[in-house]
Amino acid sequence: MASRSREEILDSLVRILEDMTADWDMDLDDPIDEATRLMADLEFESIDVVQFIVAIEERFQQRGMPFEELLMEDGRYVDEITVRDTVDFLDRHLAG
Amino acid sequence: MNPTVLIGLDGATFTILDPLMQEGVMPHLASMLASGVRAELRSTPNPLTPPAWIALMTGRNPGTHGVFDFIWSEERASEVYFTLYNFRDIQCETIWSMVSRQQGRVGTLNFPMMSPPPEVNGYVIPGLVSWKHLRRNIFPREVFDELKGLPGFSAREMAWDFDMEKEAARGVPEEEYENWITFHIRRERQWFAAVRHLMRTRPADLTAILFDGPDKMLHMGWRFLDPDLVPSDPSPWEQKIRQLLHDYFRELDTFLAEIRELAGPEARLFMASDHGFGPTREVLRINTWLAEQGLLRWRDMEDMAEGDRERYRRLIDRHFVLLDWRHTRAYASTTTSNGIHIRVARSEGDGGVPAADYATFRQELADRLLGITDEAGQPVISRVLTREEAFPGPNNRRAPDLTIVTRDHGFLSIVNREPVLYRRPQVEGTHYPMGVFMAAGPGITGGVTLPAMDLVDIAPALLHSLGLPVPSDLEGRVVEGLFTDSFLAGRPVRRGGPTARPDSYALREQHTLEAEEEAQIIKQLQALGYME
Repeated sequence: MASRSREEILDSLVRILEDMTADWDMDLDDPIDEATRLMADLEFESIDVVQFIVAIEERFQQRGMPFEELLMEDGRYVDEITVRDTVDFLDRHLAG
Repeated sequence: MNPTVLIGLDGATFTILDPLMQEGVMPHLASMLASGVRAELRSTPNPLTPPAWIALMTGRNPGTHGVFDFIWSEERASEVYFTLYNFRDIQCETIWSMVSRQQGRVGTLNFPMMSPPPEVNGYVIPGLVSWKHLRRNIFPREVFDELKGLPGFSAREMAWDFDMEKEAARGVPEEEYENWITFHIRRERQWFAAVRHLMRTRPADLTAILFDGPDKMLHMGWRFLDPDLVPSDPSPWEQKIRQLLHDYFRELDTFLAEIRELAGPEARLFMASDHGFGPTREVLRINTWLAEQGLLRWRDMEDMAEGDRERYRRLIDRHFVLLDWRHTRAYASTTTSNGIHIRVARSEGDGGVPAADYATFRQELADRLLGITDEAGQPVISRVLTREEAFPGPNNRRAPDLTIVTRDHGFLSIVNREPVLYRRPQVEGTHYPMGVFMAAGPGITGGVTLPAMDLVDIAPALLHSLGLPVPSDLEGRVVEGLFTDSFLAGRPVRRGGPTARPDSYALREQHTLEAEEEAQIIKQLQALGYME
């Protein structure tokens, strides 16, 4: 599997999120990009995070990544996740 | 293949269905049973929606199929990391794949753990998916667009409402009973409209639809339906609730009749529930008991910053457990698993049970659990099963170390509250081990009650009805007496080879594409003169 650039990862994540939120009747001020906050901007709830992770694993065909690193900090669940956080996480963990 | 229909009735029990048939609320079901068979259907050791329906779909028990609960958890740092089981956790081939890879068409609606959806020769509309994710989780996606065109279609009404279900898990308040019942009547109408449409536009050899309303009705409405508990002098409100519950089952009965009619006279109809139902009068707060025994310690929230404390209160409110892992050796992580996990020490100084002491610790804990008594000195727990006893098989790693069966089959509470044994103010319904099986149609024995069957016997019955062989590694069998002798004489049960990999159908499709691509490349190379 060829390694992916940050841009490719970002592009994939934006596509996933656009597809995921297509039916959510949201009026976003800005298009989804690296700065988008999942909870504050896209109104993600915990079940949406679970679906997001599954969609990422399906898109990149890789299971078993330590998503707790993204969702938890110092052993505690974080209150917010940005697209940039997710890109950073995948940049570290996607198989090269 | 012979058209075959499976109707799932989540939580259905003859304790309730029989009186409903006798009282004329479900005349079509009564008529079907008069010409068909019935049997009690034994659920999985923890009678719960995900492990039980997947046992039905795979013909394998949870120790083999690998799903034990709605969610699974792992200890990470100072918290428990939770995630939902999904289709990819199922370690066995489903019947949808078995039929698809033998060129049969399947249509499946509202079955749990069907997302992300498997690619089948037909369609999949998964259950337990929020409306926000329904479209993406339907295979193929264009089915969602078809449904959107149906008059009155509402994804919000049809899909799983996690917020409502979360509230309901705490017990539906009495003032909400009416809304709760009517919501589920509307929800079942959505699913019925979907299956009616798809049976017309995308006819399948195996059509399977799960109505999960019976479970919702029986949790909150048990005392209005159980003949032993129905008030002899009901208040107007009690009469109204009972009437609404009857309305729900009356409408469900018409759906069963219409589905049968749509399937046609040659079709065989099978109905099954994932577990039964019965009354529960008490709650065992198992983590409170473990704490009293010195085996579990709650996390101290006093030393936390106010923001953290608030967040943890919200988590606790959602039935999460917050434990001090360094001082915890045994805990229950979910109320639905009815199970206890034992923490095995990971390192020196870790407060868990040393690996060498695991077997002894587990046996001693099981013995102590069986010693829990009520005020009258009567045991509260009827059985404690080890992981190997409850879930034998190669994929039982995520199963609880101990599975508890309480005397009234109630779910355990995991919250930090006293007393350990809590008497419910009202009788509620809970999952019991014996569900229902019913079947009718050409070749099905008429008007008989068979001995109790197991959930894993359903997949073989469906495969045989379709005219397909029963894979050699299924754990169930085509039970004696289900099909008539004359039918079996013309179509003896065929034993097939083993099941394929869980995602075999999708893989086959992928391989076909690759083969086509390969052929195309060879053709191009030949055209260019590089290959003969």
